[in-house]
Amino acid sequence: MLAPLQPVLESPREVDVEELEAELSALWRSAAEGASGQRVVTRACALTLLVSVESEDAAWEVSNLIGDVTRQNPCRAIIMASEPLARPGGINAWISTHCHLPVEGEKQVCSEQVAVVARGDSVRALPNVVLPLVIPGLPIYLWWRAPRFEPEPCYEDILRVTDRVLIDSGRFPHPALDLPRLTERAREAGIRMGFSDLNWVRMTPWRELIAQCFDPSELRPYLARVKKVTVEYEKTSPRRSAQEAQAWLLAAWLGSRMNWDPAEPATEASDASRTWIFNSTDGRVEVRLVPREFVGGGEGMCFNITLEAAGDPPARFSLKRGPEGICVTTQCAVEGREPVSRNVRLEVLEEIEVVNDELKYLGRNRVFEQTLAMLGRMAGL
Amino acid sequence: MGLGTEASSVAETALLANPLREGTRVRKTPAPCSIVIFGASGDLTERKLIPALYYLAREHLLPVSFTVTGCAKSPYTTETFREKARQAVQSHLKIPASEAPFLESFAQSLFYISDDFGDVKAYSLLDSMLDRFDRERGTGGNRLFYLATPPSFFPVIVQHLGRAGLAKTRDPEKNWTRIIIEKPFGRDHASAQELNRTVTSVFDEEQVFRIDHYLGKETVQNLLVFRFANGIYEPIWNRRYIDQVQIAVAESLGVENRGAYYEEAGLLRDMIQNHVLQLLSLVAMEPPARFAGTAVRDEKAKVLRAIRPIPPDAVNDLAVRGQYGEGFAGGKKVSAYRSEPKVSPSSVTETYAALKLFIDNWRWADVPFYLRSGKRLAKRVSEITVQFRSVPHLMFRDAIEDIIEPNVMSLRIQPNEGIAVRFGAKLPGPAMRIRPVQMEFRYGESFGAPPPTAYETLLLDCMLGDNTLFNRDDAVELAWELVMPILDRWKNDGERDLAFYEAGSWGPAEADRLLQRDGRRWQRL
Repeated sequence: MLAPLQPVLESPREVDVEELEAELSALWRSAAEGASGQRVVTRACALTLLVSVESEDAAWEVSNLIGDVTRQNPCRAIIMASEPLARPGGINAWISTHCHLPVEGEKQVCSEQVAVVARGDSVRALPNVVLPLVIPGLPIYLWWRAPRFEPEPCYEDILRVTDRVLIDSGRFPHPALDLPRLTERAREAGIRMGFSDLNWVRMTPWRELIAQCFDPSELRPYLARVKKVTVEYEKTSPRRSAQEAQAWLLAAWLGSRMNWDPAEPATEASDASRTWIFNSTDGRVEVRLVPREFVGGGEGMCFNITLEAAGDPPARFSLKRGPEGICVTTQCAVEGREPVSRNVRLEVLEEIEVVNDELKYLGRNRVFEQTLAMLGRMAGL
Repeated sequence: MGLGTEASSVAETALLANPLREGTRVRKTPAPCSIVIFGASGDLTERKLIPALYYLAREHLLPVSFTVTGCAKSPYTTETFREKARQAVQSHLKIPASEAPFLESFAQSLFYISDDFGDVKAYSLLDSMLDRFDRERGTGGNRLFYLATPPSFFPVIVQHLGRAGLAKTRDPEKNWTRIIIEKPFGRDHASAQELNRTVTSVFDEEQVFRIDHYLGKETVQNLLVFRFANGIYEPIWNRRYIDQVQIAVAESLGVENRGAYYEEAGLLRDMIQNHVLQLLSLVAMEPPARFAGTAVRDEKAKVLRAIRPIPPDAVNDLAVRGQYGEGFAGGKKVSAYRSEPKVSPSSVTETYAALKLFIDNWRWADVPFYLRSGKRLAKRVSEITVQFRSVPHLMFRDAIEDIIEPNVMSLRIQPNEGIAVRFGAKLPGPAMRIRPVQMEFRYGESFGAPPPTAYETLLLDCMLGDNTLFNRDDAVELAWELVMPILDRWKNDGERDLAFYEAGSWGPAEADRLLQRDGRRWQRL
């Protein structure tokens, strides 16, 4: 029988925490013994992926996603669930493999997964269990899959060896409060490791499209003469907080790239829109973030972004999400000229696709760090 | 995408100055430009160029105002051309219905001129149209001409572009004009030289992008990364440690419906002169000072220059040619080359060639490079194998029964791209028994995302002004110079020494003997 093409999670097997390393070796030995039969297995590993979740249930939820990670980024995945308030205390561990068949008829490729659930005081022992399991010489990523990035002190040892932390500001319940807090965290952590925000990464196509508007040399001068930026984001969907965070990040990105200086604290209107005034080399710039309803928004991100620039003639650059949210219409309109419009695909990436993409980067993302720094200034930090 | 980052023009430099692009991980987007495809109603445009351009546009890798103008004699209108493009994208990329808005948006960037581009008058209309696009669509005065016509039209189109003033860059401080020329670039050394003279009398060499789609393949580019981004290979990458290098480009298909072309070309022209010699130069070149067009192309040319010429009287000692007869492919009976459509029943065109070459420099002196390529071989595979010298002294006397295989490094180009190293390992047990084992890295296992196609890579590179993966005039001529004695000798010999092999086999036995004379054999693929 041919092995399936989709990733397969072999049933997790509970093991003694003290024997974790020995059990992992035994796991591969048994796979190799099986190789004398029809199924041939290759072990693949390019990194260690630590995943931090807040409960055992969340651990099993993420376990189902790891298979899609290992297909693109073969790794040793270690899921760490910490339940400090749970009683009784203790640590349990499970091991399993994720296997997939890259080419039908070829060898199966397998990556290993360890799940560790710590309860009560035993949460403090998590680093002691996890650190011996990281693969020496390969990069270590920490995927922080909790609503806020507020690691317990015991995580300090894990953060010290981590090369890059992946958080998701889309999970922040209150972006206007949580994002500025993240700014401080990133400032502290950024000295020694890279920092990624999955919610920021999801905005990459939008940033790319905004940048493209100013690629033609005759339109580039308008960038310095931008006077008004409006970012409309979806207010009704369950993704509202994620979109609000993205709107903040987008405004901060523009501000940091253009060296705008926040002149006044934000004002909040009755429709929950926020307005900032920045000083630029060409005068004042108004930036508004406006929550609104998007009818038929589909699964995609819903934004309308407009940049209005002074000049002779003035110009207007806009990006509007199209039907079902999978399409963006961009338009560059210089007064007195025929506007140039086009539709492009909007990549709507699932969480796991963004994670996979981020696992290909190792260094620090200076632009993101500068964006967070600007965001801190916008929040008055 | 090409590895070179040489700043090719002010236009690209200015693009980088867009502060919103700084450090954004955003993929490079070329400056706004007009792409003009000559041969727009042809097969290459339909199968490769339009799908590649659509892919780039959909992924927003093309500038907002890019414009494609198709030029050909076929009496299409712009709307017909757009419809053909829609069909080409549908049929070659099999896009879902949800992509309809992008496809339509892409189609609106396409225009068509039906005219005889063998006549200079057609170019004034093209000129005024490109001017209009600059004004109305913001294409910025940047032009990319793509010659996707039969090779016989290359010189006349180039000359007419020159006469119409279209080859000149309007303002070198702000704009660029480039031309992509498809292969085959000439059919022998003299015609390649002549074409180079024609092209460079109209365009500067840095404007000319001679495409060899093989160089756009991800794994071919990875050869450079493999050799020069890893410190462990360079110290052993020389005659002191390497016994021989083999390069194989095998195809399981026959000539299909290209019989007429193949009768004129033959395998040496079709594969060895370009693809295989390109692979050889990448494997054998010295480390370039930078990963940039000039530096990489200089080193590749040096390798070609250092290959020992094959004297006419040594052709039969160093080269083997073959032609496939009847046989089996994919379990089905297939006909002999001579029975293929549009092939002469007494054809002496080679469908297989094997060569033994030497590179006369310090790194490679006396290391043979065995090249082979053929149609209707046992399977489709392209692979470079580097066989290392055997250990100087075998201390494992007890293991004398075992064959101690030399180490072999295999660089698989296609399919199942990857790298494998063979080495000896002890069999578990009390006795000292040694067996060869393989350590393997496969792209498909380590990187899940499918790579872009060669045409997407190369089109984008050209628009970005990165010529690293394109051929330079000297390299093209050097490659022709190298194969000319073989072509001349085979032409004179007619059917004499033409070896026949069964379709679906690994080629003629004469090719095996080429290596057996040296005490070597072809690597199993």
